Amino acid sequence: MAEIRIKNLHKEFGVGEDKVVALEDVNLDITGHSFVSIVGPSGCGKSTLLNILTGIETPTSGTVEITSDGHVAAPGYVFQAARLLPWRTVTDNLLFVQDDRSDATRERCRRYLEMVQLGDKGDKFPGELSGGMQQRVGIARAFSIEPDVLFMDEPFSHLDAITARALRRELHHMWDETKKMVVFVTHDVGEAVELSNRILVFAKGGRLEDDIQIDLPFPRDPADDEVAVAKAHVLRKFEELDLLAS
Amino acid sequence: MTVTETRPGAAAGSRPAPNPAQRLISIPAKIAKSPHSARVLFPIAMFAVWLLSLMAVEEIWPFAVDVLPTPSEVGAFMWDEFITDTLARKNLYETFFISLRRLLSGFAIAMVLGTALGLAMGLSRATNAFCHDWTMAILAMPALAWALFNSIIFGFDDRGPILTVILAGIPFVIVNVREGVRNTPRELFDMARSFQVPQSKVIRHVLVPSLMPFMFAAARYCFSIGWKGLVIAEVFGGQDGAGWTIKFWYDAHRAHGVVGYAAFFVIFAILFERLVFEPISRRAFRWRPQLRTEVVEEAFGEHHEHYGEDEPARHG
Ligand SMILES: Nc1ncnc2c1ncn2[C@@H]1O[C@H](COP(=O)(O)OP(=O)(O)O)[C@@H](O)[C@H]1O
Ligand SMILES: [Mg+2]
Repeated sequence: MAEIRIKNLHKEFGVGEDKVVALEDVNLDITGHSFVSIVGPSGCGKSTLLNILTGIETPTSGTVEITSDGHVAAPGYVFQAARLLPWRTVTDNLLFVQDDRSDATRERCRRYLEMVQLGDKGDKFPGELSGGMQQRVGIARAFSIEPDVLFMDEPFSHLDAITARALRRELHHMWDETKKMVVFVTHDVGEAVELSNRILVFAKGGRLEDDIQIDLPFPRDPADDEVAVAKAHVLRKFEELDLLAS
Repeated sequence: MTVTETRPGAAAGSRPAPNPAQRLISIPAKIAKSPHSARVLFPIAMFAVWLLSLMAVEEIWPFAVDVLPTPSEVGAFMWDEFITDTLARKNLYETFFISLRRLLSGFAIAMVLGTALGLAMGLSRATNAFCHDWTMAILAMPALAWALFNSIIFGFDDRGPILTVILAGIPFVIVNVREGVRNTPRELFDMARSFQVPQSKVIRHVLVPSLMPFMFAAARYCFSIGWKGLVIAEVFGGQDGAGWTIKFWYDAHRAHGVVGYAAFFVIFAILFERLVFEPISRRAFRWRPQLRTEVVEEAFGEHHEHYGEDEPARHG
């Protein structure tokens, strides 16, 4: 079981007049098979938090710990844009993040490409694929290392509604099947309510303002009454926190 | 609810098929529009301009015929050179081989040194500040000046022309490599770091490929500018080579030799571009989407160029 422990996390960018506080005194624990969504207006530090958790950025102060059964956990990261190597084929993009190129590894990569319905696109270059397909490659890449925790930063925000919907379903299915932890950033409250059992609300200045549990069964239909009520509840929190005006 | 089915093909298919006569008429228009025929038309047009201007000059000043080379003279000269029947000390192939050897030596040195300097300048602000003005000064100096300096210093051996190639070409290498380093795709490095990909692999699969387009631009400039510098250097400080030989025909008052040799320069450069740079670049940039595009499957509103991303998300 994966565990994330964040203590007194503080992150600033720049110095003097250019100083920006991206995260302020964040304290947070996430454990087990959770699907946690992080919502909040743009610029509230959501990406920065994921970047710190995945080791791209270092905290200004405070500590983060990601473990899995006592070991340092391996994170997978799905970015807002796919971030594929344009000069490598789809298969080589997946192999790029693997520890080895053994037959077993290749087979695993092939399996995850198939899972995102791109089994026949392994020899293509990213530039030959549509945006939605590229994003799916990014998702397959993150899954292919079989991470203990999967971080996703607005992974569907550049996609059209139909593709996004299909991928959301696929993601949820995989989360259910692999029993992995997912930390999912979005600015779409509806998406957060549909997918997660816990929603963290961040406000400008990088403060964690609210921590909402949603204990409804999956799959959740947005048209369902209970889901609509939950969404209204989160939106009300947004209003209270004056986050909608931004 | 009623669903109206619209066939996307319907609009395009509604245009009536052209009849054979119409098709025949459209052939010249097609030829005129094709980039291939435009390419072929250019030399033909130049040839016509040459003939017409010869005739015009002859009208105004009849003695000019003795000086101005006609296409047939130039053609005969080039053919003689081609079959190594020449008055010059070395035949066409020996001459170009000597020049090519100098060009490639200078080119290789310029590429290696320029890449090292460009990398250093791209990575370190201090190095860039130190070298920037020098690079610009070298860039601003005409190849003619380098050719003269080097022939004064080295006299008539290989070093002068080679150094001229280096000095003419290296600023382009430095500037291009530096820009390449400054444009390295940060978000791909970040991606690699989050997946804990080892440094050596990142260099091989991210850094080097991202520099390739810049290295290619550098190589092309370095080669063509170096070639021009070399010819000038050989005119002033050589005993052989392409530049020396064109000067030889000039001194011998053989205008058709000068024009014919100039034509060889052009052919040489084009052959190199076609036989060396183009195939390599086609292989190296196989991944570029404009070369092989596939049908786009989904409607995808915002198209994101390159690997840039993560602009702040818009939000209601
Ligand atoms: N590398 C950086 N350098 C300077 N400022 C940054 C950097 N990354 C993020 N910031 C700033 O930190 C704040 C939080 O950014 P981010 O985490 O990207 O927000 P979000 O993902 O919630 O939209 C913003 O004000 C942003 O401008
Ligand atoms: Mg963000």
